[in-house]
Amino acid sequence: MSALISENKLRQLAAEWIGSGRRTIAPVAIKSRLLYMPLQSAEALSLDTGARPANTIKEFFFPKAETLYGYRVKGRSIELIEPANPEEQIILAARPCDAAALPVLDHIFNWDFKDDFYNRRRASTTVITLACTEADEHCFCTSVGGAPDSERGSDAMLLALGDGRYEVRCITAKGQQLFAGATEASTETGKAIAVPLRNFEPEKVRAFAVEHFEDPFWAEHTQTCVGCGACAFTCPTCHCFDIVDAGPMAGGVRVRTWDTCQSAIFTQHASGHNPRSSQPGRQRQRILHKFAIYPEKFGEVLCTGCGNCARNCPAGLGVLSVIREI
Amino acid sequence: MNESTQFEPKIIAYVCNWCTYLGADLAGTARMQYPPNVRIIKLPCTGRIDFNLIVKAFEVGADGIIVSGCHPGDCHYTSGNYHARRRWILFRELLDLIGFDLDRINFAWISAAEGKKFQQIVTEVTEKTREMGPYSELYTTGPVELLPELPHTPAPPVTFADQEELQAQARKLLSEGSVKVVIGYGERGPVLVTRPDDCGRLVWNDRSTANLAMYLKRREVKALGPAAIVVKACDERALVVLEKESQLERKELHVIGMACEGLGAPKCAICVSRTPRFADCVIGQATAPVPDSQLTQDRLTQDRLTQDRLDALMQLSRGQRMAYWTQEFERCTRCYACRQVCPLCYCERCVVDKNRPVTIDPAPSTKGNFAWHLTRAFHLAGRCVGCGACANACSMGIDLGLLNLQLAKAASEYFGGYQAGVDLSAELLIGSFAKQDKEEFIR
Repeated sequence: MSALISENKLRQLAAEWIGSGRRTIAPVAIKSRLLYMPLQSAEALSLDTGARPANTIKEFFFPKAETLYGYRVKGRSIELIEPANPEEQIILAARPCDAAALPVLDHIFNWDFKDDFYNRRRASTTVITLACTEADEHCFCTSVGGAPDSERGSDAMLLALGDGRYEVRCITAKGQQLFAGATEASTETGKAIAVPLRNFEPEKVRAFAVEHFEDPFWAEHTQTCVGCGACAFTCPTCHCFDIVDAGPMAGGVRVRTWDTCQSAIFTQHASGHNPRSSQPGRQRQRILHKFAIYPEKFGEVLCTGCGNCARNCPAGLGVLSVIREI
Repeated sequence: MNESTQFEPKIIAYVCNWCTYLGADLAGTARMQYPPNVRIIKLPCTGRIDFNLIVKAFEVGADGIIVSGCHPGDCHYTSGNYHARRRWILFRELLDLIGFDLDRINFAWISAAEGKKFQQIVTEVTEKTREMGPYSELYTTGPVELLPELPHTPAPPVTFADQEELQAQARKLLSEGSVKVVIGYGERGPVLVTRPDDCGRLVWNDRSTANLAMYLKRREVKALGPAAIVVKACDERALVVLEKESQLERKELHVIGMACEGLGAPKCAICVSRTPRFADCVIGQATAPVPDSQLTQDRLTQDRLTQDRLDALMQLSRGQRMAYWTQEFERCTRCYACRQVCPLCYCERCVVDKNRPVTIDPAPSTKGNFAWHLTRAFHLAGRCVGCGACANACSMGIDLGLLNLQLAKAASEYFGGYQAGVDLSAELLIGSFAKQDKEEFIR
């Protein structure tokens, strides 16, 4: 037995969620690109699975600017202001490669210090994925253990039947709760028909990167990296951050912002010395972190194969392009 | 409204140390009364007044701003005020596009002898601002009008210059040893070719849209030795600006020009320069720029739409323009791809990366993003060659091209048709001045 929902009903549900004050996030078409954004109305929801959103859902768990606390200086004392608790949110039609990044991020934000900010958002969010029906040249989830219908990280999954109806697979109680009473029982099942080409073995990448640390390979193939953070900031698993203070002495906020190992100042010491002094070294770091350093600690790769790094790279690089050269 | 509940505007006055500050001093010693609403901030020279300070004043709650210095010809540093005036002309246009209220920013020349004028201006600006009420439109949000979309048109039918000739030329240069690296286009993106045998990696096709001049600023590329670079006529303009700004030794660079009839990018539709003019060699042949009358229907439509977007935005109210940019900048993640791919953003250390002190909030907050995008656009005022690399690189699709276009239009309108990187003999727009520069907005 399966449960089905029509597109109309799905939009009705989304409208209800929005109406009940829950922050409902979904892909929205903005100027010929898809972006995950909070929905203003259910009509804005894009169920097109042809393209992948240019951003990822990590920003709803690990925002690009997270206020850690506010402060106000009053005479000789300082008042600290706690940020408000995160609101309940529902992410609709997320791609499986986005959801699969959540268990990966869970490790990072909980292995020594338990990050309340992340955990609270995680607890107050329900993730509904939409299985992919198309893969583009940049997709490679199957190379890193994912699949176009991987349920990892999802609370529920929608699978298109191709006629405006979707099969709903509720994976957790949270997911079940959202769709309770909204689906019809049926014997039909949906299918993820996207087939990303299986391109590489992560283990070989790890071995190569570790054994060729000082290899001219890196300079040869990654010298054209321009040193922006487009790959890291649109990566579902990249999680490096910086902490900055904003505001005058009298009162302001301490904010956690995204940071990227591709920027030259990421490793710059106060003395001026930079241990990672050239761009190829920074590109190597990105591959190493994803395929050697993180797996060593947590037993899986730090990549879900979404391909956003290549899609958004101004220089046509990205994990897959570099790995292809190996 | 009785006096006690009357709105009292906060006015910030940025004044120069040598004229206006002494003017204010004179007003004080002469016991001339003026409203206490003004907070004076003294700076060495109007030429030193960073444009971000103007925006910052609004952020900390100013309702009106006065910027004032020595009369033209009287600058203590000879020409600081002339340079400042030229920047104000352009900066006002940028602020206008973003939706700042220009009526709240007052420029004046006040000399050390003009205590009376200082008194007058402070009084008048205070009155005016009081009538306007508190400034509440800063970074306003709200429903946003949709601008006309640029249609996605396929590349026009073009004849490409010979890719093999390009490869042969590169091979020759590398074999001779006159250059150590060829910066060119590859199958998946830019490539740096250092060995004659690798020249087969060079391609020339409709994806050769990037402006490779961005690599000339990179330390890793400089370290490779003398370079040859593949440019189109549009990219070449960046080389002209870089040379004029002493950022490259033209003699040490080998420029391989590609004749180009357009690659299907929006900018190609309005391109009038098909053949590089300053290249050491030009590969292929392009027809002469097509006269307007012969432009294909497609190109005409696109050309009009590019301008239309800017016009449509300018026709919105100030508040709506601000709301438009609030929504655009909201998406910014501060990945700085726009800066990294810009051939003319070459500072060793970008102002936004400086943290002692922090001048631009490094967090992608509303004010941080406004400050960043204002800074990026304005640092390119009169310098941007319109290659569109920044907007192409933006993964969030922020309309950076509109900011650049507005400044390019202003440069052309107020400075005798000035276009950056077109004329080798023209003086740089920023860094020079003319005594007759526009001045009717200054009192």
